[in-house]
Amino acid sequence: MNRFCLEVSGDFACFTRPEMKVERVSYDLITPSAARNVFQAILWKPEIDWRIHRIEVLKPIRWINLRRNEVGKTVPAGAVASAMKQGRGALGLYIEEERQQRAGLFLRDVGYRLHAELTVKPEARAANPLAKYREMFARRAERGQCVNQPYLGCREFAASFRLVDPLSEPADRQDLSEADRAELGFGKPRDLGYMLHDLDFSDPADPQPRFFRAELHDGAMAVPDWQEALA
Amino acid sequence: MILQALDNYYRRRAAHPEPARRLPAVGLVEQPIGYLIEIDPAGRLVQLQKTGEMRGKKHEPSRFLVPRGVKKTSGVAANLLWDSAEYVLGVDTRGKPERVAEQHAAFRAKLAALPEAVASDTGIRAVQAFFDRLDLAALAQLPQWADIADTNPTMTFRLLGDDALVCQRPALQAAPEPTDDDATLEAAICLVRGQPDTVARLHPAIKGVWGAQTSGANIVSFNLDAFNSYGKTQGNNAPIGETAAQTYTTALNALLARDSTNRVQVGDASTVFWADVDDEPMEAGLAFLLGEPAKDDDPDRGIAAVQAIFKAIESGRYQHEAGSRRFHVLALAPNAARIAIRDYHDLPLAELAPRIKRHFDDLAIQGGPNDPPHPSLFRLLAALAAQGKADNIPPRLGGEVLRSVLDGRPYPAQLINLAVLRCRAERKVTYARAAMIKAWLNRDVRAKHTEEKEFQVMLDTSNNHPGYRLGRLFAALEKIQEEAQPGINATIRERFYGAASSTPATVFATLLRLSNHHLAKLKPGRKVNLERLLGEISGGLADFPAHLSLPDQGRFALGYYHQRQDFFTKRSADTDNTAPRSNEHGHRPPLRLRPPVRCEGRQPQRRP
Repeated sequence: MNRFCLEVSGDFACFTRPEMKVERVSYDLITPSAARNVFQAILWKPEIDWRIHRIEVLKPIRWINLRRNEVGKTVPAGAVASAMKQGRGALGLYIEEERQQRAGLFLRDVGYRLHAELTVKPEARAANPLAKYREMFARRAERGQCVNQPYLGCREFAASFRLVDPLSEPADRQDLSEADRAELGFGKPRDLGYMLHDLDFSDPADPQPRFFRAELHDGAMAVPDWQEALA
Repeated sequence: MILQALDNYYRRRAAHPEPARRLPAVGLVEQPIGYLIEIDPAGRLVQLQKTGEMRGKKHEPSRFLVPRGVKKTSGVAANLLWDSAEYVLGVDTRGKPERVAEQHAAFRAKLAALPEAVASDTGIRAVQAFFDRLDLAALAQLPQWADIADTNPTMTFRLLGDDALVCQRPALQAAPEPTDDDATLEAAICLVRGQPDTVARLHPAIKGVWGAQTSGANIVSFNLDAFNSYGKTQGNNAPIGETAAQTYTTALNALLARDSTNRVQVGDASTVFWADVDDEPMEAGLAFLLGEPAKDDDPDRGIAAVQAIFKAIESGRYQHEAGSRRFHVLALAPNAARIAIRDYHDLPLAELAPRIKRHFDDLAIQGGPNDPPHPSLFRLLAALAAQGKADNIPPRLGGEVLRSVLDGRPYPAQLINLAVLRCRAERKVTYARAAMIKAWLNRDVRAKHTEEKEFQVMLDTSNNHPGYRLGRLFAALEKIQEEAQPGINATIRERFYGAASSTPATVFATLLRLSNHHLAKLKPGRKVNLERLLGEISGGLADFPAHLSLPDQGRFALGYYHQRQDFFTKRSADTDNTAPRSNEHGHRPPLRLRPPVRCEGRQPQRRP
């Protein structure tokens, strides 16, 4: 089996929508690319790929509104280059001077089960058996090891994770009320509109986004294959 | 979600059967137009018609639907078939003849660039003929000329005998929209509609958000470097098609318009709401739940709106298919020249309707004859603010309470803190505060699944909670004093309310001793009655607690309020034999017209 299921949870989350990313508004649940990053935080090598198949929502969708101070500027590369060359000038920027207060509509108290598949890239398969990475991931995830702390959309929203076997340990949704279950698509699928699938990095200078029609079906969102997403 | 919902709302309103409520087609915008140039099909001028009317000392031109204009900066850029007099007629109004000639040429070039199918339209041909024979010297003889040359008004064409403008003729609307010749535009999947479309680089402005710039602000905008991702600029950061950018902004602008019935102000957030169906009683009900109706409005309109919801729920309106229709509530607030989404709720009517009813049921409490049976959120919050001023309401409280109502969850803790503190500070438990405290406590009890009984609309003699009992006892002691010493300036409420409600053990011994002296002054019959009441109330009390927590102080306030209301109702029942007025739904007397109700903390409007 090269499929894994991670249960992640956190107090806050923000999976920022591209159209409302300045004054942030989150998607209703974790996006496939954010889920991929959770797996990559535990194990990533240049020769492997993670593909998200399914996302289960364990807790009701709750929101919180708050404002945060963020930085409103990027370091100008040209100015840095000339400063390096001349040996004087500013290399950085001061957050106190470039502050932007940004409002955000975030998720709070979230819990998901992320189902992903581990593959080795075709060009690397000969020298690298899949079993190697599978064992690495299982060992690391069980011990709670990670390269960086997995997070829920923004680095400041840390996620705790746990490797689970969905067959022996089905998702616990006892606490959901009837209205919450309806919102999670139990009984009748709930349309969530178009969601970001991931970015196509084949041209690193100009990555292209792909979208898919997200739908919650009995508390779970099926993620289509990359090729099927709208480009 | 938000943009999709607005896009869907646009589609519904754009196909509305009533033309007055229909939203303009994509590509058309409403613009004030100062003058109409009426011409006959041969291009001869029939008349120059000034539009609009005087408002005060200012002349306000009428608004017409015209093709969307270009975003103008300092350069020369003409709109299609409508623009200022400099562009349309080539009138020099500011002493820059070269520039005006350029402007007029640009205007005519835009006309000449129309595709063949459109250019052959009678209206367009007439405009072309008008320009071919344009004689400014002859026009200058017209009486309106001085005004035109002076103000440089916007103008457009109308064909003699047509109701619509030339730019509204069907041939033009059927034509594909001329796209901006901007090289950075990309075609991509529109993330609102899911179809390939040209990406909108800049989105039309959204006007009418309270506190934002009057010229409008944007929801989708990327105005600083840090907001860009992956080296993309402006609209390419979020691929939204030109069509969807038009539709969602048109819909939102219509919802936010000044005379819109779908908007209210909740604290600092401009809140709009809409249903997926036409003529949904919830729209009127929510407007009343949130805001205060206009001052000169019929005060019973709001009551009627809320009762229409109750009726709709009882009649089973939301049980089947209609209940699965969704209701949207969107709160917007300005932030640094942008518009931030404060809150967004999108829920089925079947769930929303009972929650709205629940809110009003929780609030229901026995009140005086002038207290509104279904107090609005604005009125409740104003009652919790210092001096009853709306300015003193904590900024985000309104939004949080609204969220609790729509989610059907407990109200924020801040609410009871404020209510209790206000009661103590003013030593006065008003109708609105008592209603708020009761609603808060009942929701809290329900959410925590405790054994405690929920509070009733009227006095509940079976409630044994020490806080509630102490409140009742305090009201009874005050009553005894009032009867013993009628008309005294400072009763025990003025002197002891704060201490009695927070640290009962310190004061109740004193109060009970005082009351013995008060009772001694009463007639024997009355004395026995009141003593019996004191006995009944303190029978459920084991001891005086050393201090009460804030929620318990809320129970104290509620017990005090209930007991006091009870004294009043009994008296009125004795004298004029009317049944006690109840706010509980279903037991209300029939609606009748009343003078405008007085709002807590606000001066009643005086009519000359």
